Amino acid sequence: MRKIVAFIFLIIAVVSCVSVDCPVQNRVETTYALKKPSGGPDTLGADTLTVWTHRIKYTDNKRDSILVNRLCGAKATSFAVLVSHTLPEDSLFTMLKDTTGRQWLDTICIRKDNFPHFESVDCQATYFHHITELKTTHHGIDSISIKNREVSYDKEEHFFLYLKANR
Amino acid sequence: MTKKSISSFISRLTVSLLLLMTVAQPADGQKTPKQEKDSIPFFRGFAVSFDLVGPAQLMLSDHGEYEGALRINLHDQWFPVFELGLGHANHENDEVTGLTYKTTAPYFRLGMDWNIKKQKHDPYRIYAGFRYAFTNYKCDILRKGLEDNVWHTKADFGMEDISCYQHWLEGVFGIDASIIGPFHLGWTVRYKRRLFHQEGDIGNSWYVPGFGINGSDNLTVNFNVIIDI
Repeated sequence: MRKIVAFIFLIIAVVSCVSVDCPVQNRVETTYALKKPSGGPDTLGADTLTVWTHRIKYTDNKRDSILVNRLCGAKATSFAVLVSHTLPEDSLFTMLKDTTGRQWLDTICIRKDNFPHFESVDCQATYFHHITELKTTHHGIDSISIKNREVSYDKEEHFFLYLKANR
Repeated sequence: MTKKSISSFISRLTVSLLLLMTVAQPADGQKTPKQEKDSIPFFRGFAVSFDLVGPAQLMLSDHGEYEGALRINLHDQWFPVFELGLGHANHENDEVTGLTYKTTAPYFRLGMDWNIKKQKHDPYRIYAGFRYAFTNYKCDILRKGLEDNVWHTKADFGMEDISCYQHWLEGVFGIDASIIGPFHLGWTVRYKRRLFHQEGDIGNSWYVPGFGINGSDNLTVNFNVIIDI
């Protein structure tokens, strides 16, 4: 009888435990992979790349929000950028700067459909996305293509970004 | 020396086998004792039960169940069971995430318990059994004014009346003790395993009526008041 009572208390202790199963990786981002025309990975080397966007609601002088700050180096072959929750189109501004001080400004426009995504009441609500259209200017950027249209918690490459070789 | 030990082993084995055969086979003319006939009828009646853990959960937290069961007693050994319940969750405006989750829906379970005690007709029983369960439910998932941390836009998040269903299986272990007259009290511990499910278009359900906080499996406890009828 004692064993049964002990077993019941053990079961109650197990049942009364609460676990929170939120995803460890819970940022919804698009990943841009830098590519050479040959298809191999490109790198920024000594050049720097900055990406920012315009806030929809902002206080006085805080319109810009930096998303990638002066990315550079031989290992800089890709970067990730957050996606807006509900805007139909995200506009990103890029500035590519070389060591001599020359800079190239571009704009990338991403049109998308937004879908609410719920994991649990303990996890922050978020949106997943389906990329419908992609446009860019061509000052420092040669071209950009979509590799994966679905944007979720998965860390996959979504876009191939080809920078101009001679900038 | 080795030869001697082998021969003694063989002789021991032969003697043991012969003894075993003598014990196993009754001598000619000796009758095996007849098993006493069980005079207890096959059909022993019905019992209804009500769970107290679910209502207590509802009082102390934001989700729980009201649940009753009808059990048929076949020879104090087999117990086909039908369970019917109403699951309810109202998690409003979570203090961290601001999310609201609401659902109210019925569920049912069908299954069988076996009395695994040697003395089947004792007033105390130990059960092992299984259940198949199903629920079809609608839930509301809402978050007012969800703010985008970069663009600083605000939008209402979620959907109402999301149609979902779930099939699951339960392994049950239980204890039943006769208290007075037709009244019994009993515990059951249940391991629940999801089979098939649909959770709508916006991700996961948080609470599934009858199953509990969602996941692919779950462990729950019931405390039943049982009345023989």
